[in-house]
Amino acid sequence: MLSIKNLDVSIEGAQILRGVSFDLEAGKTTVLIGRNGAGKTTTLRTVMGLQTKTGGRLMLGKTDLDRHPGYGRAKLGIGYAPEDRRLIPAFTVEENILLPAYATRMQRDERQRRLNEVYDLLPQLKTMGDRPGGGVSGGQGKMVALGRALMVADHVLLLDEPFQGLAPALALEYAQALKRLREARPEIAFLITESSPELLSSIADHSLQIERGLIEMEHGEAA
Amino acid sequence: MLNSILPLLVDGLANAALIFFVAVGLTLVFSVLRILNVAHGSFYSIGAYGAASLGLWLVSVGANPWLSYPALLVSAALVAALFGPTIERLLVRWTYGKGEAIQILVTFGLFLILEDLQRMVFGVQSLYQDTPMTLLGVTMVGGVVYLNYQILLIVLALIVLIGLRLLIKRTRMGRLLAAVVADREVSEAMGINTDRIFMLAFSIGVFLAALGGALATPTTGVAPGLGAETMVLAFAVAAIGGLGQIEGAAIAAVIVATAKVLAVYFVPALDSVAPYLVMLAVLMVRPQGLFGVAETRRV
Ligand SMILES: Nc1ncnc2c1ncn2[C@@H]1O[C@H](COP(=O)(O)OP(=O)(O)OP(=O)(O)O)[C@@H](O)[C@H]1O
Ligand SMILES: [Mg+2]
Repeated sequence: MLSIKNLDVSIEGAQILRGVSFDLEAGKTTVLIGRNGAGKTTTLRTVMGLQTKTGGRLMLGKTDLDRHPGYGRAKLGIGYAPEDRRLIPAFTVEENILLPAYATRMQRDERQRRLNEVYDLLPQLKTMGDRPGGGVSGGQGKMVALGRALMVADHVLLLDEPFQGLAPALALEYAQALKRLREARPEIAFLITESSPELLSSIADHSLQIERGLIEMEHGEAA
Repeated sequence: MLNSILPLLVDGLANAALIFFVAVGLTLVFSVLRILNVAHGSFYSIGAYGAASLGLWLVSVGANPWLSYPALLVSAALVAALFGPTIERLLVRWTYGKGEAIQILVTFGLFLILEDLQRMVFGVQSLYQDTPMTLLGVTMVGGVVYLNYQILLIVLALIVLIGLRLLIKRTRMGRLLAAVVADREVSEAMGINTDRIFMLAFSIGVFLAALGGALATPTTGVAPGLGAETMVLAFAVAAIGGLGQIEGAAIAAVIVATAKVLAVYFVPALDSVAPYLVMLAVLMVRPQGLFGVAETRRV
């Protein structure tokens, strides 16, 4: 679904990604594991067009992402939940979730249908809908960021360290939400980053290791 | 005493209205683009020159004098359409994320260019076109004469204040604007064309400044130097209110105007420095302005 080929990224003269290549398959969950500073966030930001690349290709199906500016990628069906959540503090939780729908000029009934779907998959969001985005805890914020990404994630869902900083109970809830999501939307390709491999071994179809901007090894189909 | 201070107050509020248009534009541009546009006052004087020229032309062709009102609006809109998108795209965009020194130098350069441009196009004489003011006449209350046009200015400022608030709170565009103000990068990732929002915000800022200038021509006319003078005053108002604060700019404009009125009444010598004394006093106590939030900014 999403094909990343020989991605090179330099920031202020330092090479951060070195020929990163991998494919995300529709319906599969790929986990990208790496230590702090390995280049996970940079990979995701580059896919979103937030970071300029110095080389390589990004293809979504037959679409060359170079032909689409960063803001066009949500509309292409790529949902992104950043590592640090990045909710709009002055918006309510629901307004935060709806932001991509407004930004991409989604039709009203489609918007409502998707919002309901998000609330079905992540029922804990429903009770927080009216709270300000700046007033939810870090863990709840991760959940909101997931809901917001889902509004547009028709093809690809990028989650940057979703479990980082989650209390065990919330981490469990989050993992269950991902399982429900996997069943409800079997066509989406997931890319989830994590710093330790254990957390995601049960939901990963593929896992990749990134170290100093280099994909180190590739596990095939996990059991 | 009321009878002598009330007309001064109405006069002051009408001036506050004019300066509010400029200051709120400055503050809006600042909160979205994060740049302090030193050339912002030039759009006020260009709007004033445009409105005066258009108004004088309407007189010269013997047009219906009531057309002088839409002419004020049209000239502000023309100035915004002509200068907003082009200047943002060709010049201001290069300074995003650069240091404040660069931004001030670039926009100061722009200010000098725009000043020369005005001298080339409009010459150095002052223009005056007061049809919109004379047409509205005056109101007598308790033996005191009020200019209806000044009341209109105050009403228009309130309409702009409420309109901006509604735009930001209630419209799709306003929501996107608020999102970009809060977090440009995540806005981009969520599908917002932030370049377009920047261009739009800058153009609205130009429009508001030009509208202030256009509305000022019937009362004060326009002459070289108006741009610089307005810029300094608008900056003082925006700083008092808190950069980025729309309601703050409105209240600060009223405070500054009131300070001026009180100065005229009690210490005439301090008339022109009164706004800056207020600014100093406010910034010494609250460096972020009356309504400013330290560090985080919002529309
Ligand atoms: N804006 C930046 N300026 C300079 N260096 C940067 C910038 N962004 C990232 N880097 C560098 O790029 C490298 C990769 O960073 P990245 O954020 O992609 O790592 P990560 O794998 O997401 O780490 P973490 O687990 O801490 O989130 C790091 O060495 C980091 O210092
Ligand atoms: Mg990271």
